[in-house]
Amino acid sequence: MHHLSQEIVMTPPTLPPPGPRRLRTTVRAMLAVALAASLAACSSAGTSSSGNATTGGPVTLQVWTWNLKNGNPAAKAIIDKYQQEHPNVTIKLSEVGGTADTAAKLLAADQAGDTPDVVQVEYRGLPALVVAGVVKDITADVAALKSGIEPNIWALTTFNNQVYGVPQDIGPMMLTYRKDLFDKYGVKVPTTWAEYAEAAEQIRKKDPSVYIASFSPSQLEFFAAHAAQAGAQWWSNDGNAWKVGIDSEASLKTADFWEDLVKRDLVKVEPLLTPEWNAQVNDGKLLSWAAAAWAPSVIHSVAPDTAGKWESAPLPQWTPGNPAVPFQGGSTYLVPAKSKHAKEAAAFAAWLGASDEGSKLMLTLDIYPGGNAGRQATLSSEPPQLMPQQKDFYQVADQVIKNTTIPATWGPNVNVAQSAFENALNTAALNKSSFREVYRATQQAVVADLQKSGYTVIK
Amino acid sequence: MPTSTGRRIRAAATPWLFATPAIVFFTLFLIIPIGYAIYLSFRGFRIHGGGAFGRRVQAFVGFDNYLAALTDPEYVAGLGRVLIYGVIAIPSVLGLALLFALLLDIPRVRAQGFSRTAIFLPYAVPGVIASLLWGFLYLPSTSPITYLAERLHTGPLDFFGYPALYFSLANIALWSGVGFNMIIIFTSLRAIPTSIYEAARIDGASELQIAWRIKIPLVAPALVLTGLFSVIGTLQLYSEPATLHPMTATVTTTWVPLMKIYEEAFKNDNLGGAAAASVVLALGILVISLLLLRLFQRRTFGDNV
Repeated sequence: MHHLSQEIVMTPPTLPPPGPRRLRTTVRAMLAVALAASLAACSSAGTSSSGNATTGGPVTLQVWTWNLKNGNPAAKAIIDKYQQEHPNVTIKLSEVGGTADTAAKLLAADQAGDTPDVVQVEYRGLPALVVAGVVKDITADVAALKSGIEPNIWALTTFNNQVYGVPQDIGPMMLTYRKDLFDKYGVKVPTTWAEYAEAAEQIRKKDPSVYIASFSPSQLEFFAAHAAQAGAQWWSNDGNAWKVGIDSEASLKTADFWEDLVKRDLVKVEPLLTPEWNAQVNDGKLLSWAAAAWAPSVIHSVAPDTAGKWESAPLPQWTPGNPAVPFQGGSTYLVPAKSKHAKEAAAFAAWLGASDEGSKLMLTLDIYPGGNAGRQATLSSEPPQLMPQQKDFYQVADQVIKNTTIPATWGPNVNVAQSAFENALNTAALNKSSFREVYRATQQAVVADLQKSGYTVIK
Repeated sequence: MPTSTGRRIRAAATPWLFATPAIVFFTLFLIIPIGYAIYLSFRGFRIHGGGAFGRRVQAFVGFDNYLAALTDPEYVAGLGRVLIYGVIAIPSVLGLALLFALLLDIPRVRAQGFSRTAIFLPYAVPGVIASLLWGFLYLPSTSPITYLAERLHTGPLDFFGYPALYFSLANIALWSGVGFNMIIIFTSLRAIPTSIYEAARIDGASELQIAWRIKIPLVAPALVLTGLFSVIGTLQLYSEPATLHPMTATVTTTWVPLMKIYEEAFKNDNLGGAAAASVVLALGILVISLLLLRLFQRRTFGDNV
């Protein structure tokens, strides 16, 4: 579980609903910590697929998801709608945890031969499940709805030209910051990482108790995206062999950047969404979070009283004038290989993510839809609750998506990288030792693991 | 004679018959899982068919997993951290437990029942809850201790730094473990015949001398038992650091061996590696337990054991 909290960090629900606000659980993040702590308690969610496999007859789909929650009226409305349109289908929802927990449970369910029918995971978790052979190739099932999602988003779930999942939500990268305090300290919103470092220094000078941001070594995906922005590809493949670029020079330069900030005490070494982090965000001691468009709703859930003081801007760049970024976070619906109702399951997943109707309904769940219709609908939505005054939030986000031209390719052993990276970076950040060594060690761990499994790794 | 043979067979079979339920359950729920874990420890995922997305299938990998576990710097470092923690936690838990037990055993001590319950109570709090409680007391923004320290200008206290972290963790063990160990030692004290004390008092021994010369030697078996439990519990340390992990960057995801094993099994999808590391840990605990028992056996239980 420790473990789950980060999962939640990476895929938070993203959009505030356009309608009246639901009661929000402000303790969500604290609960995440508590949940993370009680990781030993593996809830055994219902995995059985009931009903007969006869086509046309009544079918019950078991769905593992964290966005469609039992008891959430918006989720219920979506499910009701689908069941109304498909009277032979009954949807049963289970919340089994974040990507890591879901993946572990799916692997176990597959071994037991009793899998659910639709499973939500983050994009970075998908390749590992595909090579484990537990995901069904649904290329043919989703062909009809292919045009509902842009190709660069389909690319997140397509390996060797085979589609293994329907994208649900995406994470255009943005810097969410305290507009009021940036103004107060006379700090300009950074547009480049050099300006970001300057801003960090200025803020520390103006008030030594305040930091521009926390530095959380568990955010592997952010550091990968940060390196990708600089031109590095942590994983890539030519269809046959893997290439690992965690220790490429472009990537190591991003390591230098963070090492410098940590050594000069310009960022606070602190995991995200701890009670400590939450308190600091509430107190205006942490002024920004470089993440994706889902960050505002996460911040709002832990610091609702700060609403109206934040804004989001495009992520700072390495090279002025080059706004290219990858996606960070976001998730997809896959169909397990052993699903007994794969056809119906794929149809439901495609409807949720890729149909006009489904992707628009995603907006009611606080998430940033990957589908075209849903994306279009954001442009006429109210801004997130954290920044009701920033009327152009979705226009900014939309521009970021247009600039999201760097493909995010995840390898089959992201988890191995995650643990090696997180632990080494934690230690390096606390001891103020070389970050380059952390990236190199992660590279070695990832390459060694790929080779041990039998993959070809090229230089 | 057939009847006598039959009776003899029946006589021989009777104990087995009574033992059958135990043997069946022991086999089903202990021997078979252990056997399966050992089997798994020799298996690993290797890809079948080429390509960047070649499928992983389970295969026999020999001693690869054991080699990987024993040469894994994180696993070995975790064992080292557990040792440091144990050196701090075990003596303080047992020392305090013994002290409280002796104090409660002093004749005519007041509020004995209440004190015993009060000291024992934290043991009833689940380890995860205890860790969360203490975690919030350690976190600078929520900690009243830090608040007071800052008011008194003794600076911010870092409960999660090194080496403070070891003491912070040992403190949780102390808080929840003293009561349990105290009860065991106290029960053992109560079993000592009072005539021995009377004899000592007639000889002019003070309460302190009675405690030192009579009580402690006589409860030595209980001390060995609680010591053994503590050593095993220390090597199996998991829920406290795992609960504190999301609160601080200092506790890594592989801080203790069990966290490493959990991570291999459920995050890295490497059941074989986790099984091998578990077998290594179990063997280590077995060897240490046997060594400890042998070391204390003669001294505490006498020669007739």
